[in-house]
Amino acid sequence: MSTPALVEHLFRHEYGRLVATLSRRVGVEHLHAVEDAAQVALMRALEHWRIEGQPDAPSAWLFRVAHNHLIAELRKGAGRQRILARRGHGLDPGPEGGTAPEPPLAGELSDDLARMLFVCCDDVLPARSQLVLALKTLCGFSVAEIGRRLFITEANVYKRLTRARERLREQPPQLDGLSTAQLEARVPAVLRVLYQLFTEGYLSSHAELAIREELCAEALRLGLVLAEHPAGQTPPTAALVALMYLHAARLRGRADADGALVLLEEQDRTQWNAEQIATGMQWLERSAAGDRFSRYHAEAAIAAEHCLAPSFEQTRWDTIAELYATLERLQPSPLHRLNRAVAIAEAEGPHAGLALLNGFEPPTWLEGSHMWPAVLAELHRRCGHEAEFTRHRALALTLAPTPAVRQLLLRSLGASPEPRPDATGHQPDEGRKCTLCYR
Amino acid sequence: MPKFLCLQRSLPSATPAEQRPSPAQMQEMYAKFGAWREQFKDQLVDMGGKLGQGRLVAAEPAPDGPYVEVKELVGGYMIVQAQDLEGAIEVARACPGLVRPGSGVEVVEIHTP
Repeated sequence: MSTPALVEHLFRHEYGRLVATLSRRVGVEHLHAVEDAAQVALMRALEHWRIEGQPDAPSAWLFRVAHNHLIAELRKGAGRQRILARRGHGLDPGPEGGTAPEPPLAGELSDDLARMLFVCCDDVLPARSQLVLALKTLCGFSVAEIGRRLFITEANVYKRLTRARERLREQPPQLDGLSTAQLEARVPAVLRVLYQLFTEGYLSSHAELAIREELCAEALRLGLVLAEHPAGQTPPTAALVALMYLHAARLRGRADADGALVLLEEQDRTQWNAEQIATGMQWLERSAAGDRFSRYHAEAAIAAEHCLAPSFEQTRWDTIAELYATLERLQPSPLHRLNRAVAIAEAEGPHAGLALLNGFEPPTWLEGSHMWPAVLAELHRRCGHEAEFTRHRALALTLAPTPAVRQLLLRSLGASPEPRPDATGHQPDEGRKCTLCYR
Repeated sequence: MPKFLCLQRSLPSATPAEQRPSPAQMQEMYAKFGAWREQFKDQLVDMGGKLGQGRLVAAEPAPDGPYVEVKELVGGYMIVQAQDLEGAIEVARACPGLVRPGSGVEVVEIHTP
């Protein structure tokens, strides 16, 4: 992720740059025309570059082609007079009709990208459109590619994009007039979308590893764009970037050569990316500022604990349990409760873990997920509660969303219940295998 | 070695018009094209280019025929060298995107005195 090891996605990223720069120049209300122009420029590049070779400054070449095409299209458009009156100078291609203004300098470009990110996460857009719009405009994925990545139909992607463009046409966010402080107020919304994008890649149990890595890399790339922007340089941004590096570092270890999920306990820690862990720790250090401990701080700290533990056994589960408790306070979620129970079971024994879940009513969406019964089955197994174990295990297997997850559950919950003395019995718990710990 | 003129021709196709490729697909096409060009670099004499509009100039008034608007039929050209027609066809066939639904290539030997 942002390392040379990954393929440089020139065309996709150029698309994102073109859309960001051009929509800033002509206004996001013209997003559709802007996206068309970016597409046309890339098609022309495909034709010309393969015959003439790639120009020395491909970005500038693309910018000029896209800009000229966009201006010609906007001039043809019905709203020509209105547009020209409002943005006369920016749109004038000059007496020759073909000279575009200079392409953006590096600093302007990252500013354009950050601003487009703010646009994609703006309150005027429906929440369900935001991530889709970011994937389309900033990451350069097509409608079909977005559908495959988010497990929604192309029609659904299309609908969300159309709504977003309509809103942007009706109420274009006016970012240019905003002060840094005003922009800063919009950072939490951007962080939410980036977190969602990263999670789609990191936790998805469906997609291939390459696709998941790609989504994580995109989230990280945009996170860095935000972190470099004056308004985006907040401690929670740094924490989110740290979180992404620290999780991404372990992505490769989570699946074996056949793509089967591997339990945390069984993961080959030498496969984790030491360089990314180091970078993640630097960002974590940078995030330790300000007066607010955000959910991203808590999650990054949990990821750091895992990355820094020399082995599964030497993991500081008590610290992780505390961090989950903090996370639950900051962002109440039954999933955090569930993870906290797993950590407590490791730190203090399965009875303590069960106690935390005792009397806790999971919401229907969690009841319908394999995770809830899988954790209960695991804890009951380790407590030696045969009937409870069997019941929850059967339910978990039924609810497993994919064959890979089912395989994992069969492996970890395959054994019959083994009573293990918990911490109060002063014996180490050897039956440690937790279905959530492959995270 | 004999040279061959390769003309890309639009062909009527039953398959519906292709969707516009995504940036990722374009990147892939670009990469494939680069690989093809590298593989056959000794045989690619002239990468040619796209052909624009044309007009048949004749003693008689030009008939209403397909050659009036060359652009409609011939998209682009290039010149390759090969031992024989089969060899030239092999190069053209391997070219990404050239032989596909809606597009074909006409390979003609160029006789030079």
